[in-house]
This record gives sequence, structure tokens and C-alpha cells, in this order.
Amino acid sequence: MVFLSLSFWREAGGAMNVNYLSVAPELILTVAVVLLLMIDVQWKPGYRWWGIAAALGFAGAIAASVMQWVGHRGEDAAEYFRGMIATDGFSAFAGILIFPIAAMALMTAWPLVRSLGRRGAEFVVLVMIAAAGAHLMAAASNLVMLFIALEVFSISLYVLAGFTRARADADEAALKYFLLGALASAIFLYGIALVFAATGTTSITGIATFLGNELLFRPGILLAGIALLVVGLGFKVSAAPFHVWAPDVYQGAPGGVTGFLAASAKIAGFAAAARVLTVALDARIEDWAPAIGVIAAVSIVVGTLLAIAQTDLKRMLAYSSVAHAGFILTALVGGAAGVADMWFYVATYAVQVVAAFGVAAVVSGPQQGPAPLADYAGLSTRSPGLALALGLMMLAMGGIPLTAGFVGKAAVFSAALDADYLWLVVLALVAAVAGLFFYLRVVVLMYMQPAEGSGSVPVPLGARIVLVVAAVVTVLAGVVPWPLLRWLGEALPG
Amino acid sequence: MSLIDYLPIAIMFGIAVGFAVASLVLSRLIGPKNPTPEKLEPYECGIVPLQDPVQRFPVKFYLVAMLFVIFDIEIVFLFAWAVRFHDLGWYGVGAVGVFTLLLIETLVYVWKRGALDWNIAHRRRRVVDRQLREAA
Amino acid sequence: MIVNQFLVLAALLFSIGIYGVLVRRNAVLVLLSIELMLTAVNINLVAFGQYLQDALVSGQVFALFVITVAAAEVGIGLAIVILIFRNRSSANVDELDLLKW
Repeated sequence: MVFLSLSFWREAGGAMNVNYLSVAPELILTVAVVLLLMIDVQWKPGYRWWGIAAALGFAGAIAASVMQWVGHRGEDAAEYFRGMIATDGFSAFAGILIFPIAAMALMTAWPLVRSLGRRGAEFVVLVMIAAAGAHLMAAASNLVMLFIALEVFSISLYVLAGFTRARADADEAALKYFLLGALASAIFLYGIALVFAATGTTSITGIATFLGNELLFRPGILLAGIALLVVGLGFKVSAAPFHVWAPDVYQGAPGGVTGFLAASAKIAGFAAAARVLTVALDARIEDWAPAIGVIAAVSIVVGTLLAIAQTDLKRMLAYSSVAHAGFILTALVGGAAGVADMWFYVATYAVQVVAAFGVAAVVSGPQQGPAPLADYAGLSTRSPGLALALGLMMLAMGGIPLTAGFVGKAAVFSAALDADYLWLVVLALVAAVAGLFFYLRVVVLMYMQPAEGSGSVPVPLGARIVLVVAAVVTVLAGVVPWPLLRWLGEALPG
Repeated sequence: MSLIDYLPIAIMFGIAVGFAVASLVLSRLIGPKNPTPEKLEPYECGIVPLQDPVQRFPVKFYLVAMLFVIFDIEIVFLFAWAVRFHDLGWYGVGAVGVFTLLLIETLVYVWKRGALDWNIAHRRRRVVDRQLREAA
Repeated sequence: MIVNQFLVLAALLFSIGIYGVLVRRNAVLVLLSIELMLTAVNINLVAFGQYLQDALVSGQVFALFVITVAAAEVGIGLAIVILIFRNRSSANVDELDLLKW
């Protein structure tokens, strides 16, 4: 409800322009959360009620995002609540993406939720609040709002990472995520303070106007601020060299949580980065684009090389997510022109990563602990469905043609080529080929090695639905990507 | 503000430090010294110490303390609203009302879940009771 | 109004905070260092707000939000530290080596 209490913030002479549709997803989720908690604590109806409340909340949030999309796609951003919230195709698409992803992650985590007893309600609530925070990050049109949304999102995830409480590696993951995440938030905040000092405003469009009109003779403070902003956002999307938290957290946190964490952090982090960099700091593209290019290159190389050496599926996926952060950043070196390509990659990767961690969650049992690769040997004979789903996700992440991963890589490379970053594209191509090794290794392990365990792994209904949906989306977006690409052309920040 | 304006503070600082150092040095120089074991104990209002003071104390208050801190800090939003109370009018009252309702909702939830129960044994017993009820 | 002293003070505080995060071994002290960094940001925000003669007092209002968010963050952080302490009776960051650090 932060956005309501923010209303005292007066733009000089600006109108209040309240528009409840612009924050409808957050409002609906907040109401669902309040009802869920109050009814649960009073009448204790159990996990079925949590599922109903979460389904209603997410369905309402998706519907509201679709309404925003219909009304605002392809148009300039409309700012509401005195320039705090921007509604445009960009924020609407972020909602259409983040809420189904959160619902899918919750479905893969459902066995864990049921095993938590009374605390399960809090788990569901935290996923919903984190999703609302992630969407607010994409819709924030003021750095203050962006910071608050970032914290709503991050603090929920810190708790989720350590939620199982009984497993020592999970609370270790939570502490590491918390300490490094809080450090990143503080650095990001210092960046905001410096940008505020240099431009005199925290409004994203205000900064853009200021930088477009004024010539700064001594831009030191502004440049330092931009650098700190990039570092803070780099932490959140786990780009190297700010990725050290990712492997431990991905491995220690429960599988369902990790899928949500990986997907939503990429969506929200890159949405925020795209809005800050290509709208607010567009006039300064010569300053930040080379830095983004270097971070992308380092992420791709470090992520690919370290992923090869891993023996745990979740840890391998963590390093692979570092490499993917690099690929996605490759789209941003060209500024606003690459945002649609960034969206395509982020959307398809989010679906893949939720499904991959969903398989890990199913295979490693209800506590959803670590996932040593040895557990996956011969999975195709024990559970052909799971092996097929994980194999497809691995091929898509590796960028095999006819999967969404291939189209995504092609899209971000073409964006970087348009911006004359040939060296980055060559490097990324080499790394992508090298990366095929560890993705294919999982496939080989599942299909060509003898099974060690006996008996098939039971797949809960929720995980089954998620895997089918993810497989269909991944193949469909790989074979006929044009409708999605055309829509994404209307999902740009205004 | 020039440096000379800080002179009174500097003098005050000097006197404070000087007094502390002087009394320590003087008592060391002219005070009588005949230590006994009782005199070397830490002074606790003249009562003989029962146990070693360096020990862990129960953290059962940490939950209440943290909840207090979080609820306490939320008050600053009301402060910001109060500054512009007349400009914001009924819209402000409504917004702060919703904000307060959410805080109350949180408080009710925390209370019902037993986090405000000071007596941990009592809290544990309630959990056990509930588990027995659910098992039955 | 001269803003440089405040800038230097904030930068010093921020650096001390980063030093503490990197060097301290106890999770509670790391938490304290992060609080120090947030305080540095608050000093910056209020000083800049005053220096820019901002009619909206954005700097001060932003500082209020930072204070509340910091309180929430510390609440969560202490809870996680206590959880760790219960599981292995130590809040030492060095000893968290179940997962490769």
C-alpha cells in the first residue's frame, strides 16, 4: 500500500492524477494477501484455501495487466500518482510475464508448501508479495518508487530462500543472499543519491529531460552515480563480477523457490535496468554502453567456464544463469533499440528456468534440497516425462534451433550487431557453443547412462502442468516466434 | 561559521578530558592500596555476585523487540502526512486509513500466531495442543 | 550552504561501511556495517535536498523511506542470523561453508 501513502509527494503544480488501473495488479494481490492471511489465521481452512486465494490473486493480476496492455501498448508512458507509476506496454508486458511465472513457480513448490504446516500460508503470501514488488519495479517511474519496489521484492525473496528452516544449507543460502543483497541495495541507493545530486530530480522522465537539455561540464557525480546504479542492478540480475551469491543461493534454496528467484530476478532486474538506462540515462549512452558490454562479456565467459565444472544441477543452472545475464545484457548495449530483443530472451529464459528448477524440485523430494547430477543418471528410463522436459529445457538454454533459446540468442546478437559490438557477438557465439557442452552433458546423462535408483519419480499435478506449459511455450516460441516478436515491439518503455 | 566559533566547545572538551584524567591520576597517586579478593569483584550495589556476569541471556524478547522496531518505524509515514495534513484533505485521511488498517491487520496476524506470547512455555504448549487436536 | 563537508562525511561513512562488510566476521557486525552505508546515503539525500533548494523536499522524504526500509531489512536480517545461530550455535560468516563460498 506504499503507493497510496506516497500521495503526499507533490510535483510542483502537478496533478494528483489517481488511476487505480495503473496499480490494479498490486492492489488485487494485496487484497488477496490480506484475505488469505486473515481467513487463514481465524478459521484455519488449510492449504486448499491458500491455493484458491493465490489463484484468484494471480488471475486478477494477470487480467489487470492484460487490460493495461490493451489500453497502453505501443504508446508513450502515461504517468500516474504524481509521476510515481508509469503505465505503458513495457509495464503491462512485465505483468503479463511475471504473474504467470510466479504462479508456475508456486505450483512447482506446492509439495513443499504442504509440508510446511501452518507456515505454508506465509510462503504463498511471500511469493505473491514478491511478484507484486517485481511488477512495481517495471512500472516505477521514479527512482524512489523503484527502490521501494526493489526492497519489497528482495526482502520477500530473502525470507523465501531460508524458508525450510530445518535444512542448514537453506538458511546459509538465506544469510548469504541477504547480506550480499542488502549490500547491493545500499550501493544502488548511493547511486540514486548521486544521480539526484547531479540532476536535481528522482523522476525518470525528469532525469531524461534534464540530461537531454543541459550540458554538464563536470559530470563526475553523475558518472559515479550511474556506475553505482549499474553495480546494484548487476547484483540483482547476477551478472559477473557481482554474481558470487548466485551459486550458493540457487543450490541451497528449495527448488521451487530457486525457479521463482531466478526467473523473477531476471524479469524485474532487467525491466528496471531497461527503464533506467534507456529512458532516464538515454542521453548518456556513450558512458554506460561500453561498461554494459564489458559486464556482459565477463558474465558470459565466467558463467560458461564455471558451469562446466559443476556436479550439482542447481549449481550448474546458477552459473548458466550468470551466462544468460550476460547474453541478455548484450541486447542492451544498443540502448532502446534492443529492448524488444531483451524482452524476448528474458521471457523465454524465465519459462525455461522455472521448468528446469521444477524438475529439480520434483527429483530431489519434498524438501527440495540440493540436486547432485548423479541423481539424474538414466532418468529417461525411470521417468521419461521428466527427462523429456528437462532435456528440452537444456537444449533451449543451449540455444539449439527450433527452440525459443535459439531465437532469443539470434535476437540479442542482432541487437548488438546493430550497435557495432562485433567483438561482443563473436565472444558470445564462441561461449554459446562451449556452453552446449554442459547442457548436452545433462541430456546424455539422462538418456545414455544406466539408472542408479529404482522406480519412477512421482510427479505432482502442479509440476506436471508447469512442465507441459513450459515445453509448449518453448517449442512454440522457437518455431513461430514472429507473433511474440511483433507484440514485443509494442512493449517498449516510453 | 568560522573556526573561532568552536572555541567554547573546544574549551569545554578540554576541561572534561582534563578533569577525568586528573581524577584518575590523583586517586592512583594518593589513594591507599590494600586489595582483598572481595574488593576486586565487580561492584554490584554491595551484594555478593551470584554468578559470572558474562553469560548468554535468553533471546525470547528478540521477537517482540523486532516487531516493536518495525511497527515503531512505520510511524514516520504519519509524520510526513501530518506535515501536509491540510493540503491532502480527505484523500490523505483515506490513504493513511488504509495504511493503518494494513498495520492493524499485520498486528492481528502476529498476535493470533502467538508471536506476542511472552511466556515461551505457554506458546510451546499451545502448539502441542493444536498438533494433538489436528491429529485427533 | 556548502555541501562538500556533507559529501565527504557521507563518502567516509559509506567507505567505513563497505570496509566493515568485507572485513567483519560476525554476521551482526556485517549487518551494522550495512546500516552505516544506508545512513551515509541518508546524509547525502538530506544534504543534497537542502543544497538544491528542492521545493518538494524530495531528499528528506526519500530519507524517511530509506529509514523504514532499513528497519524492515534489519528485522529480516536478525531473524535469519538467529535461525543460523540456532542451527549451529555460531553467527560467524566464515563458518558458513556447507555450500562452497
